[in-house]
This record gives sequence, C-alpha cells and structure tokens, in this order.
Amino acid sequence: MAASRRTQLAAAAYRALLRLLPADMRARDGAEIEALFIDAGTDARRQGLAPYAAFLAVSAWDVVRRAPYERWRRRGRRPATQELLMRSFLSDLRFAVRSFGRQPGATALVLLTLALGVAANTAVFAIVDGLFVRPFPFRAPDRLVYLNERAPAWNLEFTGINYPDFHGWRERARTFESMALFSPTSINLTDASGADRVDGLTVTHDFPKVLAVRPVLGRTFTAEEDRPNGPRVVVLGYGMWQTRFGGASDVVGKSLRINSVPYTIIGVLPPEAHFPAGVNFWIPLGGDPNQQGRSYGYDGIGRMRPGVTVEQARTDLMKAHEPIWRAADTSRTVSPRLDPLREQFASNFEVMGKALGVGALLVLLIACANVAGAMLARSIFRRREIAIRMALGASASRVGRQLLTESLALAFVAGVAGTLLGRWALGVIVAAAPDSLPGWVQLESGVRTVGFGVVVVLLTALIFGLVPALQPRRENVAGSLAWGGGQRTSGSLAQRRMLDGLVVVEVALALVLLAGSGLLLRAYTHLRDVDPGFRTAGVTTFQVSLPRTKYSNGLVQKQFFTMLIERLEAAPGVTNAAIVSCLPFGCHNGQFLQVEGAPPPTPNSPNPVVLTRMASPGYFETMGIKIVRGRFFAENEGSPRGPRPVVVNEEFAHAKWPHGTDPIGRRIIWEGDTTSSDWMTVVGVVRDVKHYGLANPMRPGIYISTTGIDSTSSRRTFGVAVRSSADPGSVAATARAIVRQLDSELPLFEVRTAEAAAARSIAPRRAIAFAFVAFGFVALALAVGGIYAVLSYVVGRRRQEIGIRMALGARRGQVVRLVVEQGLRLVAIGVVIGLPLALLATVKLADLLAGISPRDPITFTAAIALLAGTALVSALVPARRAAGVDPKTALGD
Amino acid sequence: MRRHWFYILLSLTERDRHGSGIVRDVLALTGGELRLWPVTLYGSLDELREHSWIRELDSAPDDADDRGHRRWFRITPQGRRALAAELERMQRVVTVAQRRLAGVTGPYGEPS
Repeated sequence: MAASRRTQLAAAAYRALLRLLPADMRARDGAEIEALFIDAGTDARRQGLAPYAAFLAVSAWDVVRRAPYERWRRRGRRPATQELLMRSFLSDLRFAVRSFGRQPGATALVLLTLALGVAANTAVFAIVDGLFVRPFPFRAPDRLVYLNERAPAWNLEFTGINYPDFHGWRERARTFESMALFSPTSINLTDASGADRVDGLTVTHDFPKVLAVRPVLGRTFTAEEDRPNGPRVVVLGYGMWQTRFGGASDVVGKSLRINSVPYTIIGVLPPEAHFPAGVNFWIPLGGDPNQQGRSYGYDGIGRMRPGVTVEQARTDLMKAHEPIWRAADTSRTVSPRLDPLREQFASNFEVMGKALGVGALLVLLIACANVAGAMLARSIFRRREIAIRMALGASASRVGRQLLTESLALAFVAGVAGTLLGRWALGVIVAAAPDSLPGWVQLESGVRTVGFGVVVVLLTALIFGLVPALQPRRENVAGSLAWGGGQRTSGSLAQRRMLDGLVVVEVALALVLLAGSGLLLRAYTHLRDVDPGFRTAGVTTFQVSLPRTKYSNGLVQKQFFTMLIERLEAAPGVTNAAIVSCLPFGCHNGQFLQVEGAPPPTPNSPNPVVLTRMASPGYFETMGIKIVRGRFFAENEGSPRGPRPVVVNEEFAHAKWPHGTDPIGRRIIWEGDTTSSDWMTVVGVVRDVKHYGLANPMRPGIYISTTGIDSTSSRRTFGVAVRSSADPGSVAATARAIVRQLDSELPLFEVRTAEAAAARSIAPRRAIAFAFVAFGFVALALAVGGIYAVLSYVVGRRRQEIGIRMALGARRGQVVRLVVEQGLRLVAIGVVIGLPLALLATVKLADLLAGISPRDPITFTAAIALLAGTALVSALVPARRAAGVDPKTALGD
Repeated sequence: MRRHWFYILLSLTERDRHGSGIVRDVLALTGGELRLWPVTLYGSLDELREHSWIRELDSAPDDADDRGHRRWFRITPQGRRALAAELERMQRVVTVAQRRLAGVTGPYGEPS
C-alpha cells in the first residue's frame, strides 16, 4: 500500500514536472510519457530502493534537461512554421481560385472594378510623378531656380529678362554658383536631304555650368565665343547627333548650315540636357551688356550655392538689382523674380495634378467600398461554410487568414490588369494633351509607377479584405449552423448596416466625382464654344522663316511674301491668303503705345503691354475677323513713306479711350518716340481674337500693315493663313509645293488648321475634363452596381417575408415600391452626405472652370438626377424579382 | 545523425513499434547501453516526424502484439534513405579506423 502510494506520489510529481514541457507536446505525448514512466518505474522498484531512486532521478533529469530544448526547438522552428503558413497559404489560394471560379461573372465584375481603380491611380500617378515629384535629371536639382523679371504696371508677371540686367546680376549676386540665360529659337537647317525647321536654344556660356552637364563630345562655348557677332559655333543635342550624324565620333569640327550660314560643330550634349523642351542644339546667345532700350525676352536659370535658401537668393538678387533701379528705372517698374525651377514649370499643372490625384483616389475608394461590399455579402452567404470550418477546429485567425488570402488573390490579379490598363490610359491622356506639357516631363509607367501600383493593390486588398476578415466570430457558430434557419444564415443586422454604409459611402463619393466631372465638362464645352474672334473653319496656317543671308532686307522679304500670297490665292480652292507676324495661339510681341494728346504716362501708372502684329491687308478677310468700326487696311495703303494706318482691337480701344471716344482717326505712337514722325492713324476697330488661347483673356492689341515694311525691317518669320474650300491636307501639300517653287531651302513649320490650333490651346482642359468624365462614369457604375447588389441581397434575404406579405394580400406594386424605396433611401442618405463634400471639393476646381460657378446649380441638379435615375433603374431589377416571388414556393423554402 | 535518432530508426526498420516497444528494442540493440527516457523519446520522435523520416500510424497494425497502446510509428522511405546514408558514413569511418589500427595506408590513410 505504501509502495503503491509512493508510486502515485511519484507519478503526481512526475506529471507536475512535465508542465515544464511545451503545451503541444504535453497535449500530444503527455499520457504516453507518463505511461512509460509508470511502466519503467514498476520495473525499477522491483530491483530495490536505490535503483528506484536512481530511476526517479534520471527520469526527472530527462524532463528537466529536455524541456528547455523542446521549448527552444519550437521557438527556433520558425522555418517550419513559415513552411506551414506557406502551405496553408497555397491551399487557401487553391481554395480561393476554386471558389471564385464557381462565380465567374461576379468575380470578373469585382476584378474589373478593382482594375479600373488601380488603372486610374497608376495613370494619374505617372502624371503627378512626372510633373511634381521626379527630380530634374541634373545634379542637385533643388538648387536650381528660374529667373525672370516682372512689371505689374505693364500687366506682365513675366517680362522676360533684359540682357544688361542679367549682366548686372551675374556681376553682383553672391548667393549663386552660376547663372545663365536661355531663349528658345528655331532655325532652318539645310543639308543634302532638304530643308528642315529645327528647335533649339540660344544660351549664355554658363548654361552647362548651371545645369551641371558635360558634353559627351568636344566642348561647350567659352565666354569669348558668347559675345555679339561672335564666332559661328554650335553644340549639337544628343538626339540630333544620333539622327542626323548617326552618332559619328568625328562630328566635332564639321560644319552645319544654319539659316543658310555654315556653323562649326564644337561639341555634343548629353541626352539629359533636354531642357526645357525639344532642344536639338545650342548656339551662343551673344548678348550685349551695353545694349540700349527696354528689351526683355530671355529666360534665366540659376544654381544657388549649397545651403542657400530660395528666400536668401531672392533677397540677394534684389540687392544685385538695386544699381539698375538707381541708374535706369527709378520708379522700379521692373523687378527681378526668382522661383524654384519646378514651381515655374509645374505650377500651371498644379491644380490639374491635384484634381486628377483626388479624382483617381475617389475612384479607388469607391472601388474598394464596392469590392468590400461584395466580399462582405459573399462572406455572409458563406457563413455556414465558415461556421463548419470553425466547428471543426479552425481558429478565427485561420479563417480570417483564408479570407484575406482571397482578397490578396483578387487584388493581385486586379493589380496586374489595372497596371496594364493604367499604362494604356496614360498613353491616351498623353495623346490628349500634346506638347502642352514641359519637355523634361517623362510620362512613363516605369519602375516607380509599377511600385506605386503594388502599394495601391496591397492597400486595397487590406481595406476591402479586412472587412469580411473581421467577420468570423466563434460565438455565432451555433446560430449559423442551425439548419433551416434561413433568416439567420443571411447575416446580422450589423452586417446589413455595414453593407448599407458602404453603399452610402459610394453614393456620396460618386456624387463628388459626378459634380466635379460635370463642372469640368461644362467648363470645357463652354471654352470650346468660346468665339475665338475669327472663323476657324476652312483656315489652314503655317509659318515660314526667311534666312537673313538670302533675304537680307525687308524689301526682299516683302517681295517673297507678296509672291507667296499671289501664288497661294491662285491655287485651286483657295479663296484668300495672307500673312501675319503672330498667328493666333502663337507668339507674343509686346510693345508700349501712347495716344496723341494723352498726358505722358507717369512711371507707375498702368501701362499694359500691347500685342503688336504686322498683317497683310487681306489678313482680316482671310481669318474672318469682324470689323467693329471703321475699315481694314486698304490694298497698298501704308507705304513706307506715306501715312501709317493701324487697326486696333476692342480691348485696346477700351484701354486707351475708356470714355467711349471714337478711336477712328486718332493717332498713336510707340512710347517714348513722340518726337518722331512715325504717328499711326487708327482706321478700324476689330473684334478681339483669343490670341493667348480660348481659356485666357485677351490683351490690348494692334495690327500694322505689312505694306509698311521697309528695308530696315528685321522681322523674318511670318505666319501664313490660307482660307480654302479644299481639305486641309491638300491645302498643306499645295502650300509646300508653292514654297518649294519659290525657295527649295525653306521649310514650312507648324502647319495646322485654325480649328486644331484653337483646340490645342485648351487641350489640357480637354484632357482633365475627359479624365474626370471617365472617373465620374466609373464612379456612377460602381455606386449603382453597389445599390443593385445590396438590393438583390436584401430581396434574397427577405423572400420569405415577401412571400408572407403577398400571401396576406400585398400587391406587386407595393412590393416593388418596398424594395425601390430601400434603394432610394440609401441614395438619399448618400446625397445628403455627398452634397456638402462635393460643394467643398468643387471650390478647389474654380481655376479650371472658366467662369462656371463651382456651385453651378444646373450641374449639381443634373449630377443628383443622374445618380438617382440610374439608381432607380438598378433598383427596379431586384424589385421586380421580389414582386415575382411566388408565396407558395417562398414559404415552402 | 544523433545517436537516439539512429537507434529509433534502426528499431523501426524491423517493424512498426509504439513508444515502449522502441525503448525496449533500443535497450536490446545496444546491450542495455542506451536507454531512451520518455521525454527524450517523444521529443526525438517528434523531431524525426518533422524530418518526415517516420510517421505516426492512424491505428495499430493488424499484427500488433500489444493493441492497447495508442500511438504507433513507422519509418518512411526517406527515413530508410537517411539511415542508409548514416550507415554508409559509419562504414567508411569503420574502414578507415580499421586500416589505421592495422597500420595500413590507403586512400583514406596517412600521407606517405
């Protein structure tokens, strides 16, 4: 008895000792270990007390020694655990693929939804990244600043830089490592293959130093070469070196005919020197520090010393400008300005970029809400399956992991599809906004975009995957397993509320997008319908630039253009042809003018700059510009020696004769030129042409007649306008043929129809409006799809109830109304939430709305009506299905 | 390969066994030199199972002498391969050791 008692005691002690072992080992092997211990113990005890004591000691030692190892082994078993996780992940994945495969339609819809969201975001990311984030391809791009000058009194935020001003800055400014000027130019390039118009830059010699670029071949300019009438040298752009010279290494020292004059090639630029856009070559700017007069026109770029802030550089620049104010501009009309380089080039797109970013994000959120809803509904329908799994021992985390795996699988497929779709969309957007973006912007879906897509996909998977993954709860298992409880298997009130909430969110966000896209679309159509001030239909324009060597003076040039107009007008289909120094939506040539008899302007009185164009007498008729008062130029009127007629636009008339004085017969003259005899007499007032683009206001402008061109004229580039009944392609071909007859070395450039030119001026608006309309429609489709899904679910869930109602005499119409009302209630709540959001959001779009109010009631009403209307239609389908419920079968379920 | 593992595998090559059967067999195999204590035994069995060298049977084998024990183990083909590899290694060591003891130099012997 004592012996057996001792055995029992020993067994109890041993069992207690076994608690040192890891729980899983105890659970699995504990009983057997104990049994072994007891068996062996019985044997040992028979051999006597000493062997038994030894046995007990060793047994205890066996536990104590092995327990830490077993625990360590389990902690150190990470690889095995990971392997298990991986294995369960793979089986989850297989399960997910199978279960999605059983519902191909629903799965495809979910994938499409997500893919659209991801596509919108990757495309927009590529744009935002290219414009605002991706650094310039130059060393320390943060230290680069854009320089210019401003003159509020002239109504000019950017006057361009005056060369002597720049010279002074360069001498005196201390916070800059270097600064340079550049000016876009284009040249006629002639070689054996024919004539070409090529864009490039004239630059000061410091330009490569500012950008911190080195030529890949040869050298760049010396300070000595960068002077007035300096040597004729050219540095080739990398692209031109490749295409025109096949990347030949012996190109340095060769000659290139620029504007019919030979230039010596001294070097080749690296590919990244592609700044600001379309740079095929650099030639020396050759500025004269002693140049007289107020001539502004260069762009500037500076590299700040390390550690200098933009504010410090700005202050320093102002200080460097002081002597210029003291010497030549005591009224401080013109002052320097300095902005971070990116701000200068990207600021035009800031509102658009933000709007696109927010729009794409909203689409993604709606897509997430939609998919979360779908997954939630799916998980509710799968409650029985999940309950069985949990009853069989699956942990909540295990089931949650499986649901998350399904979300990840969906997100992965949708992410791949979305990224591809986004690349395509990016192509469409880029094509819709041709060359209105700065040239250094690289809109490509590279590694960064794909990386962003991956992040988006993971986030979406988390957002929409988490909702259903949070669902499994053990306490619900019993209820869900109860057979026949049709009501209880279809989800709790909380889950219904969650579904409803998701739909409300979708509706609210969709309203924001619809209102935004409606406004942008209205703004765009409004702009498109803006009267450009001339009849665009049937007009084709192009430019011709005459090289100085061959057309050395104005008279020769005038002769060329007179012949060109004559031949063009003789061509079949052509009704009119004319030339102008600045075509609409094209260049700018600002001058200051003074009215006879008006008091001389005080230095800081407003003195808006005047767009000055030279036009041949037939220009107004060719373009279809309407006369408001007086007349156009007469043929041959305004010979170099005779009286000088001038035609002014309405804006000029209002600015100079604000009190309604009739401008006809009044005389004007270039400001500061009052002593000369060059007075011009106003013969006509014409409608404003939207010269700076359909979205921008017109400045005061005047036209002077090309008949006044004399031998001293320096204007050698002219726009040519042709009005023809023939199709634009054949007009362009005819024009090319005629120009080639006159001079085979002359290229035509910027050949386009006036309609295309007008459309180009609002191309970015079009791109963003269309992008938003696409966003809006996707949002609408998703929200309406969400409503449909919820109502279908509700109808399915309430089949029995509906059956009872109908058995008790409810009419079909009443059932339909019941369901539709549920849907419309969700829409109503969504609208109530979305409306204030939309009103807040659209205010931010004001800059893009071209005068349309951001709270435009028509747009908002239309957006709500569209939303409610489509929601109603989508609610009718499940409603009619509900009305079709046969009480007998529904109750028999 | 650990000594415990070796003898457990060796024991299971003869036939499927339960825990105490392994203990007894290993005792016999080693002439009473190696006694597998319970925790060491079951810990090792778990490790061998992780290696997929043995597996647990769902039920006692039909020819079992002692059907009261719940858990039976069987060596897997991987287990046999592992054991064979270990044997081969031991064989090489034995060969070299014997040669050295006999003063013979050969491919594994002392450099001349």
